[in-house]
Amino acid sequence: MIKNIKLAYSLLSPSMLWLLLFLVIPVAMIVVISFTVSDGYGGTIYEFSLSSYKLAFSSFYLKIIWQSVLWAFAASVICLVMAYPFAYFIARVDKGKNILLFLVMIPFWSNLVVRLYSWNALLNDGGVINNILMHFGIISEPVKMLYTSFAIIVGLVYGFLPFMILPIYSSIEQLDKSYLEAAEDLGANPVKTFFRVTLPLTLPGIIAGFIMTFVPAISVFVVADLLGGNKLVMVGNVIRDSFLVEMNWQLGAALSILLMVLVLLSVLLFMKFTSSKDKKFLF
Amino acid sequence: MVQLENVTKQFGNYKAVNELNLNVRAGEFLTLLGPSGCGKTTTLRMIAGFEKPTSGSVKIGEKKVDHVEPYKREANTVFQSYALFPHMTVSENVAFGLKMKKINKQEIAERVKQALKMVQLESYGDRSVKQLSGGQQQRIAIARAIVNNPKVLLLDEPLGALDLKLRKQMQMELKRLQKSLGITFIYVTHDQEEALTMSDRIVVMNEGEIEQTGRPNEIYEKPKTRFVANFIGETNIFKGVVDNLNGNYASLKVAGQHVLIPKSSNLKEAEEVYISVRPENAKISDQQQDNLFVLTGEFKEKVYIGTTTKIVVELNGGMEMIVHESNGKMDGVKKGNPISVSWEPADSVILR
Repeated sequence: MIKNIKLAYSLLSPSMLWLLLFLVIPVAMIVVISFTVSDGYGGTIYEFSLSSYKLAFSSFYLKIIWQSVLWAFAASVICLVMAYPFAYFIARVDKGKNILLFLVMIPFWSNLVVRLYSWNALLNDGGVINNILMHFGIISEPVKMLYTSFAIIVGLVYGFLPFMILPIYSSIEQLDKSYLEAAEDLGANPVKTFFRVTLPLTLPGIIAGFIMTFVPAISVFVVADLLGGNKLVMVGNVIRDSFLVEMNWQLGAALSILLMVLVLLSVLLFMKFTSSKDKKFLF
Repeated sequence: MVQLENVTKQFGNYKAVNELNLNVRAGEFLTLLGPSGCGKTTTLRMIAGFEKPTSGSVKIGEKKVDHVEPYKREANTVFQSYALFPHMTVSENVAFGLKMKKINKQEIAERVKQALKMVQLESYGDRSVKQLSGGQQQRIAIARAIVNNPKVLLLDEPLGALDLKLRKQMQMELKRLQKSLGITFIYVTHDQEEALTMSDRIVVMNEGEIEQTGRPNEIYEKPKTRFVANFIGETNIFKGVVDNLNGNYASLKVAGQHVLIPKSSNLKEAEEVYISVRPENAKISDQQQDNLFVLTGEFKEKVYIGTTTKIVVELNGGMEMIVHESNGKMDGVKKGNPISVSWEPADSVILR
């Protein structure tokens, strides 16, 4: 219980001020700009118009958005499958827990752009992976990997895996072991214990991890820049290009709003799906 | 029903349980009693299968279970924290064990209903376990275990989290339930009163070893060791030297005064022994009374404890003794007044 409401507000005011200045006001500006008219040179004519939304809803942009949703979703699912066993291992290992967590966080020490360049070197036609596969005669000519959907998904998984591991790790870590013992005591073998007790009880971590992976993955543009070539783009790329290349702030703003609504809706949908009363969807 | 043979459990260098031998009879209510860290919970967990003995062997029924996983053992546990699954309703919790055994739905529903009835929570089936009070959660935890008709029910301090009144009530209910079901109960507690109330037999444990096994009255009235005498109820323990074996009783010299104790066959002259005297067996003696022996001392203080008054006597020779007397007996007696204490020689229990 918060007893002193004035004190609470005064302690919160720096962060609230920060959010107001750098989140609420900019978002409001984007909303406003999205309903105005472009002067063609990056300027704004303050006249109400839906023209940028009409453009944003054209099949060209909808296709890119849909493609981004699919890539981000696929990457999140792959992250989940990879992260859960890993997080479980870290949470339950006797020694070296801190070192393992430290290793998960090490990638944050360098910039994502730099790290994605190394994937470029790994995946390209004359790159490390193709060379090794050809050296051992597994393939006779280079397999095209760079500038494909595969490369983009690899990049997204690589970039956001830690965001999936950490929340899942924390939910497994907090899971009271006596629940697992109780399940075992009542005749559930390890597999049944996992699906009927561990997984449902760590669902909050899965939801958090999924949101923390999916949301940045759908809007990131460096991955498509470096691994998608000039043909494969994500919605983040077109938004950046609208603002900075085409100087059409209205379209960029409309696409941003569209993406924001889409992300909110999918997060809500995901949460509703996973926290529905009928929890037997897992079995 | 459950047999432990030379069971030892070692955690690193620490021996939690040391060469334990125990034979639990079918249908009995057996309590493992001891202070925290005495190995009682570890012992229970080895029977459940959550811990593997470092050496020795565990039998449930006629079967050696050393290599049997917990989910295949015919024992169910009531956990100290209850460990009710928070994502399931009361019924789903109780049904869990039966579902794992792939029993048909109709029978599950029937048995869940019966189990809930047994713990008097029939109408609570559809509730979430989070909506239940501590006492109700406790009952559901019991229902979830007994619904499986286990050969042995293992209870790990199941009443520890309840308030005193509810705890007393649950003690009686558990005892009644155990009688009517005829299931073997192995009960772990550090509460000596709880152990005395409920058990058919008590195993007093200390530092990984059994100090004494016996019926509640044996444990209370005839403790064999200083540890047991001290741990079960309040008592006075005196150290003395046997100085005369010629009379009807043996005479013991305690801090310069003489105490008469029963003549047990193996007492030797000049032997050093400990005796335990329960405060309720000792009396503040009046001069007129004809006592076999009297210890003199000074009145130190008194504490009213309800049905009786606890009196602290400073015995001559520097030892303190506690005596329970009827209320009002020491009215008007001041600190430092000389008083004397006596008890029947038979009430001195010789400890080793």
